Amino acid sequence: MSGLSPTVVEAPEVAAGSGPLIRAEDLWRTYVMGAEEIHALRGVSFTIDPGEYVAIMGPSGSGKSTLMNLIGCLDTPSRGNYVLRGKTVSQMVDDELAEIRNREIGFVFQTFNLLPRASALHNVELPMVYAGIPKVERLARARRALEMVDLGDRVQHKPSELSGGQRQRVAIARALVMGPSILLADEPTGNLDTVTGEEIMRLFEKLHGDGHTIIVVTHERDIADHAHRTIHIRDGKIESDERREKRQ
Amino acid sequence: MSGARNGNSVPFSEAIAIAVASLRANKLRSLLTVLGILIGVSSVIAVVAITEGLDRYIAERVLELGSQTFTLQKFPDIITSREQWLEMQKRKDLNLTDLQAVRDACEACLEVGGMYQTRRDVKFGRTTQENVVVMGVTENAPRIGTMREITAGRPLIADDVDRGAPVAVIGTDVADAFFGHLDPLGKEIQVDGHPLRVIGVTDKKGSVFGNSQDNFMWVPITHFQKLWGNRRSVDIMVQAGSMDRFEDAQDQVRVVMRNRRHLGFGKPDDFSIETGESVLELWQSATRGIYVVTVVVTAISLLVGGVVVMNIMLVSVTERIREIGVRKALGARRRDILRQFLVESVILALFGGLLGLLGATVFSWGLATVLGKIMSTSFTAPVRLWAVLLALLVSTLVGLVAGIYPAGRAAALDPVVALRNE
Repeated sequence: MSGLSPTVVEAPEVAAGSGPLIRAEDLWRTYVMGAEEIHALRGVSFTIDPGEYVAIMGPSGSGKSTLMNLIGCLDTPSRGNYVLRGKTVSQMVDDELAEIRNREIGFVFQTFNLLPRASALHNVELPMVYAGIPKVERLARARRALEMVDLGDRVQHKPSELSGGQRQRVAIARALVMGPSILLADEPTGNLDTVTGEEIMRLFEKLHGDGHTIIVVTHERDIADHAHRTIHIRDGKIESDERREKRQ
Repeated sequence: MSGARNGNSVPFSEAIAIAVASLRANKLRSLLTVLGILIGVSSVIAVVAITEGLDRYIAERVLELGSQTFTLQKFPDIITSREQWLEMQKRKDLNLTDLQAVRDACEACLEVGGMYQTRRDVKFGRTTQENVVVMGVTENAPRIGTMREITAGRPLIADDVDRGAPVAVIGTDVADAFFGHLDPLGKEIQVDGHPLRVIGVTDKKGSVFGNSQDNFMWVPITHFQKLWGNRRSVDIMVQAGSMDRFEDAQDQVRVVMRNRRHLGFGKPDDFSIETGESVLELWQSATRGIYVVTVVVTAISLLVGGVVVMNIMLVSVTERIREIGVRKALGARRRDILRQFLVESVILALFGGLLGLLGATVFSWGLATVLGKIMSTSFTAPVRLWAVLLALLVSTLVGLVAGIYPAGRAAALDPVVALRNE
């Protein structure tokens, strides 16, 4: 519990030279629907380094949601290797995946996915509950995470008492509170108006500036343009992988 | 900043907080859900409390008869079949000679008394007191068993019995009906046209199960015989010298009677020896019946209650699939989700158990008050700690069992599918 640092939820210290954060090798994901096999991913390979800001783009049905589920450790590939921070996630069982999600992944959803009956503070506390962090520490860290997203004066508000932008900021605070390796956002502005959406994207840029690795899944060009690298997915394969701008 | 997991599941306090919040969010539903458990738990506690109250009451009354006394009588207190009843009809009456024989031969007996009993209307002037229990007694009979104090005048004495004197000691109901605040002593009352002089009044005992214990009178047993004849059986009341000699006294009386009746070895007694215990045993076997019925009723309501809880937990899981997905995305493991819903199910069932406890307490208290009024005595129906603990334990178990399947389903949900749920 470090005291007065302006960036209260720090990015994990991963030295730039210590290899890629994510290494995906020939990822396949196949669903069996009756007698038919549907290949949502057909051999996807890429690496993502610590501190990158990546957009994953593609039309609906392209397999980008499936890829996001694999990156977020919500699912495991049918074939291929997925290595996160040196750990081979593709071999893991349910509860191990839960631990990885808890520690390494910070999710931001299109529909926010806050618990409706819980206060902002309790929503942010939740990942720490599953990490077994003691109550006092949880409260202190949740409060600081909410202050970081400028919601220090709304900690006791329920989601229904907050605007869409405020809700998404609560979700971002929740995503960051465990100090994850990756902030994984799925259409983070999809349910927000343009102005509020821009606000959220500026927050992402600030977090990227602080050293967080950010992956945004979107089908909107404007949103993808905030990232420094865009991976296009089509028909379960990578169509293009371009860096627009060198990272500092 | 360490995200180190301690390996344990989410603390119970957290699971309880979640469960309570979700139950509070659905107050009416929760209440309806636990109705079965409520009824099951409250019926078991109320019935246990009330039967125990009655047990205690009966035991007190039986003990009052004196634990060292028994009665030798023609018929048993309890006849269980028609065959037995027909058999009993062949028995010979007991008479005053039997009484004297027992008195002479039973060295373990402290007191041996006799009593005839009938119900008669009793008159004083133009007033009639109906259905008075008229007892013809030896002078020591009132000392055996139920203890009565003489509050005015004197008790019967041996001389009254020897002479067959036309005198009576009366109960307070009789005294009140005839004399009010006049002095009853020396007044002449009439039974079937025969005059009796009042020589004493006893104390008041109140009523048992609504029957007054004070509507009676004692007359010397000899005078009773003169008035109502010999063709009756006398009850011979015996008080043993001490608790240790209680069994001896019964054996000695049995031997005397078998000799007098010339009963051969292996033939059954043709008379009955009754102790207060027989009444108590009858009562207790009746109580056991009540317990069995209660257990069955409770089991059925708890079964139904459990099914309802399971059903509503399935609804609760279905409603919260997305929440479960979110929790899993944030790091909840299978056992975290399992525990959350199990705790919710148990708390739901326990809530029913607690309401049942409350209901039972109020009900027993109310019924005890009503019963107490009917019997015009103080009557308590204690809610026992073990009944309370049992009820809570059982409702916890019901909640646990009912929660396993829904909680298991919740825990097994695929986070991807759960998050996609609308």
